[in-house]
Order: sequence, then C-alpha cells, then structure tokens
Amino acid sequence: MDAEPLTVNGSADLSEVARVARGALEGVPATPGAGKPDPIMTAVGVRRSFGGIVAVDVDRVEIQRGSITALIGPNGAGKTTFFNLMTGFDAPDTGAWSFNGTSLEKVAAHRTAAMGMVRTFQLTKSLTKMSVIENMKLGATGQRGEKWWNGVLPFRWRAQETAIEARADELLARFSLDHMRDEYAGTLSGGQRKLLEMSRALMTNPQLVMLDEPMAGVNPALKQSLNKHIRGLRDEGMTVLFVEHDMDMVHDLSDWVIVMAEGRIIAEGTPDQISSNTAVIDAYLGTNQGKSLLEDM
Amino acid sequence: MALTMFGLLASPVQAADITIKVRVQNQVKDEATGKSTKEPIAGVKVVVTGADGVVVAEGVTDDTGLAAIVVPAKADYTVTLDESTLPDGFVLADGESERAVTEDNFVTDSVTLNFFTGNAERTSIGYWSQLAQRLADGARFGLILAMCAVGLSLIFGTTGLTNFAHGELVTFAALIAFVLNNERGWSLLVAAPLAIVAGGMFGLVTNEAVYAPLRRRQIGLISQMVVSVGIAIILKNVYLAYFGGRVKAYAAFNRQTCTELGPVCVTPRDLTTAAISLLLLVLVGVALQKTRIGKATRAVSDNSELASSTGIDSQKIIRIVWFVGGMLAATGGIFRGLDEGVSPFLGANLLFLMFAGITLGGLGSAFGALVGSFLIGLFVEASTLGMPIMPGADWPAPFDWLHDGVPSELKAAPVYVVMIIVLLVRPQGILGRRERVG
Amino acid sequence: MLAAFSDMNWQLIATATLTAVFGVDAMYFAIAAIGLNVQFGYAGLLNFGQAGFMACGAYAIGMTAHYWNISFWWGIPMAIGYATVFGLIMGIPTLRLRSDYLAIVTIALAELLRLIVRSVTFKKYFNGSDGINGFGKTFTEETPFNPSGKYSLWPFDQNANLFGRVMLLLIFSVASVMVGRMIADRLRGPREKLRVILPVVIFALVMLGAKQTEYGGLGFKSLIVGWLVVFVIGALIYMLMRSPWGRVIKGIREDEEAVRSLGKNIYSYKLQALILGGAIATFGGMMFSLSRGSVQPDNYSRDTTFFVLTALVLGGLAKVTGSIVGPMLYWGISQFISVFLFELTQAWGGRVEIFGVPLITSSSQIGAWVQGLLGLMLVLLMVFRPQGLFGNRKEMALDGR
Repeated sequence: MDAEPLTVNGSADLSEVARVARGALEGVPATPGAGKPDPIMTAVGVRRSFGGIVAVDVDRVEIQRGSITALIGPNGAGKTTFFNLMTGFDAPDTGAWSFNGTSLEKVAAHRTAAMGMVRTFQLTKSLTKMSVIENMKLGATGQRGEKWWNGVLPFRWRAQETAIEARADELLARFSLDHMRDEYAGTLSGGQRKLLEMSRALMTNPQLVMLDEPMAGVNPALKQSLNKHIRGLRDEGMTVLFVEHDMDMVHDLSDWVIVMAEGRIIAEGTPDQISSNTAVIDAYLGTNQGKSLLEDM
Repeated sequence: MALTMFGLLASPVQAADITIKVRVQNQVKDEATGKSTKEPIAGVKVVVTGADGVVVAEGVTDDTGLAAIVVPAKADYTVTLDESTLPDGFVLADGESERAVTEDNFVTDSVTLNFFTGNAERTSIGYWSQLAQRLADGARFGLILAMCAVGLSLIFGTTGLTNFAHGELVTFAALIAFVLNNERGWSLLVAAPLAIVAGGMFGLVTNEAVYAPLRRRQIGLISQMVVSVGIAIILKNVYLAYFGGRVKAYAAFNRQTCTELGPVCVTPRDLTTAAISLLLLVLVGVALQKTRIGKATRAVSDNSELASSTGIDSQKIIRIVWFVGGMLAATGGIFRGLDEGVSPFLGANLLFLMFAGITLGGLGSAFGALVGSFLIGLFVEASTLGMPIMPGADWPAPFDWLHDGVPSELKAAPVYVVMIIVLLVRPQGILGRRERVG
Repeated sequence: MLAAFSDMNWQLIATATLTAVFGVDAMYFAIAAIGLNVQFGYAGLLNFGQAGFMACGAYAIGMTAHYWNISFWWGIPMAIGYATVFGLIMGIPTLRLRSDYLAIVTIALAELLRLIVRSVTFKKYFNGSDGINGFGKTFTEETPFNPSGKYSLWPFDQNANLFGRVMLLLIFSVASVMVGRMIADRLRGPREKLRVILPVVIFALVMLGAKQTEYGGLGFKSLIVGWLVVFVIGALIYMLMRSPWGRVIKGIREDEEAVRSLGKNIYSYKLQALILGGAIATFGGMMFSLSRGSVQPDNYSRDTTFFVLTALVLGGLAKVTGSIVGPMLYWGISQFISVFLFELTQAWGGRVEIFGVPLITSSSQIGAWVQGLLGLMLVLLMVFRPQGLFGNRKEMALDGR
C-alpha cells in the first residue's frame, strides 16, 4: 500500500463519544461471533451460495451501536455479498438477521433504508446525469412529492422541498462539495463521487451507515477528509460499518474489526488484537494483501 | 383485392346465357393465422344432368378453378364433379361429389356452386389419434421454430442484443429461394441451399455493417435494440415493395398425399423437412458441446470478458454465430415457406413465438432456445385441440378453451400466458442460469 | 429527367406536408409519444406495446357504443381502467427482470390484444376485424364548424372567428418562444440574441406553414380538441417531471440500485411510470377514434408502436417539447416523402429507376418505401443523434442494464 501515515494512532485525539464507544467494547472477548453489549445489527446462520460455491456462511455476528466497525478480509471473502444480504439487495439461502431488534427477513431493500440502515457501493453509484443537488435531494425519505398524484400539485410539497434543499446544502458544505452544487455529478472526480454518495446516504437520516470500500480510488488528501467525516458520523451517534483494504485506515479509524475469509468470520477484536492474530495472518498469506497487512501492522 | 373486384364487375356483361358456375378450390387452413387460403384447381371435369338423368352439359375448370356451364333453362339439375379428374392426392372435403340445383336457385341468370378439397375438420377421428396428429404437426413446427430461434438466442448470448429484426432474417432466405425457384425456374433443391448460404451471408453482413461498428462505438444495448427495430422496419418494407403483400407458394409446391405412420399421417416432404431440421439441430448441439468453436461460443455467452482473457477472439465467435444463426434461420424460413407459403411477414409472424420459446428455455442459452421453441411449437398445435375427453361440455369461459381447444385465430394466446407464468415463477427459464434478480 | 421536377405539383406537396404537420395523425402520435416518453425517455422502460395501450383507449370509446350503449364519455374512465390492468399484466412479471424482458412481453401482449379484439370469438364485445364504426356522433355533430367547409390554421382565415384567431395566435406565439429558446440554448454563438431571433423566425415559419394547411370541417373540432389535450397532458408531464416523483424516475433510469439503496420502491415506481405512460397513450387512441368515429384493430399493430418510437426519438427523449414536435415533424416528413414519391412517379411516367434499378413500378409500392425510409431514419438517429432534435446528450441514459 502506498498510503502514508495519516494521523497519529492513539487515544489522545479521540472525542468523548469515541471513548465511550471503545469503552463499551472493552469487555467483549476477541472471538468470532462474540456478543456485544448493545448490538444494532445481529446476523445468525446467514448462508448464501452461488451454484455450489459458498460465498457467505456467517454463524453469528453482532455490530455494536455507536461504534465504527471495520469489515476486512482478502478479495472474495464475501464482504460485499454480506453487505448485499444485510441490506436486502440479495437473499440468503438460510439465516436470520435483524436491525434494532426487528427481523429483516423478507424486508425489501428499499424498506431497510426507511428503517435507518443505508449503504453505499464499492463501485460508486452517483447518478452522473443528474446534478449534485438533485442527487442529494433524492436521498431524503418520506417526500410527499414522490407520490405521483402529488407531483403535479407543487403546493403540497414545495415547503418540504425547500427544507430538504436546505439540509442538502448544509451537508454539501460540510463535505466541501457546495461549489459543485449545480454541476452534473458526472463531472466530479472519483473521490468527490465517494463523498457525494456518502453525503447522499446521510440524507436518509440513518442510524447505521454501511460503507463499501469508501477509500478505494481516493487520493491521500481526500482520504484524510473522509477519515474525519467518518469519525464525525460516530460523534453524531451513528453506527458505521465499513469494508476496507487500507490497513492504516482500518487501524486508525475503527473501534472494532471483523475479519472474513472464504465466507466465514475468522476473527474479531480491537485493531490491536487483530494485528497480532495468527488466524488473520494465515488467511492473508499468499495473497497480495497478506504482504501489505504484515508490513502495515 | 382490387383486381378481384374488377373481375366481379366485368363478368355480368357477357353473362346473358343461363349458366351454372362451378368453382373448385383447394382449401388450406393456415394453422398460424387461422385463416383459410383457397387455391383454384384447374382441369376438373363437371357434368350437369337434368331431372330425367340425361347429361345436359359438361365443363372443365380453368386456371381460376371456374367452369361456366351453359344450361338451356332455369330448371332442376344435378351437378356431379368427376372425382377421378382431381389431381392426385386431392379429395373433396365433405366427400359429396353431387349437388342438386333447383329452379328457385336461379335468382339471376346464374348459379354458383363451390366444391372444396382439402383438410376440412375430420370429426370422425378419435381424440387420441387427433392428438397424435397435432403433436406430430407440432413437433415439426417446433423443430422449424427451434432452428429459427437458435440464432436469435446465440446472438443474444454472445452480444447481449435482443434482435427484433431476426424475423426478417428468417424471411430473407425464404424470399430468395422463392425468386430463384419461381422466377428463375431453378429447382428448389438448388435454390434452397443457395438461399441458405445467402441467409448466412446476410446475417454476417448485418453484423459487420451495423452491429460490429455499434459495439466498437460502445453504443448501449438498448440503443442497439432500437436500431434492430429500425432494421426490421426497413427490411420488411423493402420485401413488401419488391414482393407484394400476398402469400405465394413455391413453384415446386404441389400437394402430396400423406402416408400413414402409426396413428399419424405425414407427407414425404414434411417427413424430409422434419428429418433435416432434426439433423441440423443435433449437429448444432453436438458442435456446441464438442467442437472448439462451439465451446468458445458457450464461453463467450457465459462471460465474454473472461472468455477474452483466455485468448478467445470474441468478435470472431460473434461473426460465426451471425453466420451460422443466419443459415439456420434461413433453413427454418424456407421450410416454413413450404408449409405456409411465402410472404414478407413470414418471419415476423414467428418472432413472438421465438421469443416465447427463448424465454421458456432461458434467455441466452442455446439449448434452452432449442427445447423452449420445440415445446412452444408442440403447445401451439395441441392447444387448439383442447381436452374434449375431460367430462362436461359446458365449462365456463375461459375454461371452455381447456375443454374445447383454443380458437385457432387465438392460438398464440396460451403461449403468452405460459410465457408470463414462466417469468413469474422461473424467470431464468428451464435451462437458464439463475441471475440475480432485484 | 430534371425537367420532370418542374412538372410536379409542389403546391400540393407543400399543402399535404404542412397539413400533416398539424394534422390528426401528428396529434394522436404526440399524445402516445408523451406517454412513451414517460416510460422510455424518463424511466428507461422499453415499452414496445404502446399500440396496445392506444387500442385500450380506442376500444374503450368504441365499446361504449358497440357493447354498453352508453355515452362515449364513459370511455375515459374505462380506458384508464383497461390501461391499468394491461400495464399490471405487462409490468408485474417483467419489471424485476432485465429490461429486455419488458420489451419482449410488451410487444407480445400488445399483439395478443390486437388478435383478441379482431377475433371472431370476441366479436360480441369488439366487433371483430370490421372494427367499430359510426360512434361519437354527438361529439362530431355538435360542432361550430361547417361540416362541408374547408378550414386552415391560418389565424386570419376568413372562416375563423375572433376567439379562434386569438387562440391560434396565442398558441403559436407561446410554442414558438418555447421551441425557439430551446433551440437557442442548444446552439453555440450569441445565445442572448438567438433567444430573441429564433422565436421570431419560428413564429414566422409557423404562420407561413399554417397558411398552407387545409382541413375538412367535419374533423376540425376533434383536431382542435386533440391538440388542446396534447398541450394539457404535455404541461402536466412537464410539471410532474420537475417534481420529486420525476427525480426518482430519472434516477431509476440511470441506476436503479442506487435509488433503491436510498429507500425508494423501484418496482412500484416503474409500474407507476408504465401505467401512467399507458394511460396517457389511451387518450391518443381515444382522440384518433373519435376523430374518425371508428376503431380499426389493425391500426394498433406493432408498426404503430415502432413509429411512435421513431417520432419520439426524432423529437428527443426525455423532453416534453421533443415528444410533441417529434410527431409533428415525423408526419410532415412521412407525408412529404409519400406525396413527393407519388408526384415523382407520375412525372416520370409511372416508373422510378435509379441507375437502372427499378425502385417504384407501381404507386402501391410507395407506402412501403415511405415506411422503409422512416425505419432508416430511426436507425440513423439512434446511431448518430440519439438525443434527437431537442434532447440533451448529457442527460441521455440509454445504457443497457
């Protein structure tokens, strides 16, 4: 990995919220499937196979509320498939999973977003043929004007639209995208698109934000600001689950790390515990990431 | 249409005599459209006898199937058609060669009698032999449909294009064969192979001139689909301009007597086309399984990027698919033309059934297209028969169709119902792989 | 050979072309194209069964006379009901699948609908292949126009009354400003000046064109009412596409997974767009059948769908103005080619040959050549100018999924 050290790792620069989050995870054993004191999401026995190849086979996993949890693993470990399963974009063969205590079996993908669970994609899905502000406004939930019969009656949604636009502008300013407000999203750089997708996801007012490789293809300067923004989410009380290959970033950012390999969860623990875990190193050995992981940690 | 109208208007002028007009036609029911086509039969002898049994007059039908027999007066006559003068293999549909004419029938100066030969409903045949006959016809139609559809499915598999002009590709060779056969007077045995090669070339040219450049310019699949719609419009109208809209039969066309094969009856020609179709389809299947090019074709269909990375020249495979698919479609078109006559709409009328077959078999799978189209062919024929052996005659609509069979004008309806049920229950089709469905 | 061109009746060609630009065919195509634009242009749904939806409207009106024997006004709710059922049957099995499936199923079901309405089996309801004739008399007979008179869209036509004059001038000027500004925004150069000059030029052209038009008094009322329907529906869709609903629809066209991740029910929105577009198309069928007092099943073959698509692509996808101007130009072009070829065949002694290749040997071939050339236009547009005349290439999103 070519990443330079971004911030000094340690607890000195942690916010109060972050300290609480790490404190809550202190007593949790570093074993796969460990129970958490206050899980926002729980998955049990989730299994998905594609034509005989098992992509995901997770016995149990819990995500601690208010924390930043990293999901790592070699390529093909099933991380993105796991994301798809949790958010209803794909259906498992067997298994149960819940969000905030509500079972998500048979809940369609679009309903999970309304429940407070939002995701981004590994390959950014900014709507390139719409302007940045339109992208943002699309993210808001519960819009009256999204009912077709209200569409031609502007007086029924104009006020709400103004409020949404104000919130969108606020988020754009926070993510330093306000100067691109009226440009087509297609004109943004790769990193800006990642920012746009993240801020658009925040328009749904989520409790759990699931980011699929938010740092991929982003230049170092933007990585730093993304890092800051993700911490900011935790400080605002949101839970973050993210997939990442950049080990510096994982070590620096996360309160808890879950490691997947060949569809299974092979290890869990704090970043420090994971970096010394032999099972993890074994899983990475022989892969490109293995080398960098050992070097990085 | 206009010509027949002028013909009708012109005839009364010379009809001062009292005449009995006898028209002899062969009636063929088009199973696909439900329409009956009638072809005149020339050279049939007709005898008119008076009430006393004495022969009054005789006549022979002309090229229009018409014999105008002048009789002395408006009176009672018996008109007898001499069945021995019918062409070989032709029988009267109702078996009645005698008709009575009474004086009252002469409202004007003439009376017209119609005799029909051909395959009118054979009611006396038992259900099982009827079913066997339908299934035999259906299997033959299914084979033709499968030949037409393989190319469509392979093109979809290898390029992602749903080709709405594939019906016109089917029509192309049928028309070429018609021109060579009827206008140049070549034997169909020479004309058909030439037309089949022409069909293959036509497919290849379509790819090289239209779709390959579009793929190079990275034009989206939906745009390509709309382009194929435009191509279909162009081709259909060019055919229409040069060929006219009427259904025409090959010159080599003559009705054959059918041979009993167990419970079913097939003509030697039908048997030949079915055997050739089966042979070609088996060859295609074996080629896909065993040959290098066949395996490469399946690899490109499965995952064209992966195939390219293993050194397969996917553009070459696509060219081969267009050529072979075009030849198969051409063969199907010519065989269909032998059955139903040739028209600019021949292939376009099959397109929906091909789509249904491919959907049933699994979009993009060559074997799926074979199996699906074959089943659709069988189903189309069998659905018009219904299940009259089931008890009860007064079933409420639309279940009466299950009992009595679907009216042949609506025989496409059950196919579409099946297609929709397949999409609801198993969208990947019988042989397709499960795609991730949102 | 060239001398033959001067023998042709250019006045007739001009009148026929311009009459077609504002004619009944352009009117009902425009309505159907606005509907197809909602589905294909905005939502990216490849509906190849628009003719089926149009037939829903035409037969709803026809059945009020043939089967129910009630006022034709009941045709409107019935048409919308039919379109909803038809859209659900098409959409439910296919809208979760790849876009090809929708195309295949819509084209097949529209054709099936045509087979059903023209069948002997259902003659009781739809009167078979004869179609339904002679209805809507109350609509055509209560007309301010003289049935045997000749009318034009020239505001200073001697037959026009004050109200008609004012309305025509108003509509022409508003339309000219809209179209002119839109073109000006597409062009490079002195945009501010063009925004003034182009509307004036277009207004002049429209007025000149309108002077050439000629319509019979009998169908003139349905023509005027029809164009009003076009403008009302066009305005509603313009507003709807600028609402949050339109935003979701446009988002789906580009990437439905992204929109789904933001909590929108994609499947439901796609169904809504399909049915809304279909319901709009029924008005096309209704106005067309009312203008003739007749419904013919074979008017609603797949060719109708394809030519509505051609007209829409010509005008420009995802633009309301495009979906209205496109059909006008489409019918102008179609009529021009057709009358031009007819006159050319006459002038050249009933036979047109180019380099010895006989192209036209009888006037019955002209129809096929016209349609073939329009098909060629569709291909060329799709390849070289997919955004049509008014579309915005940056907003074009036709990438296959």
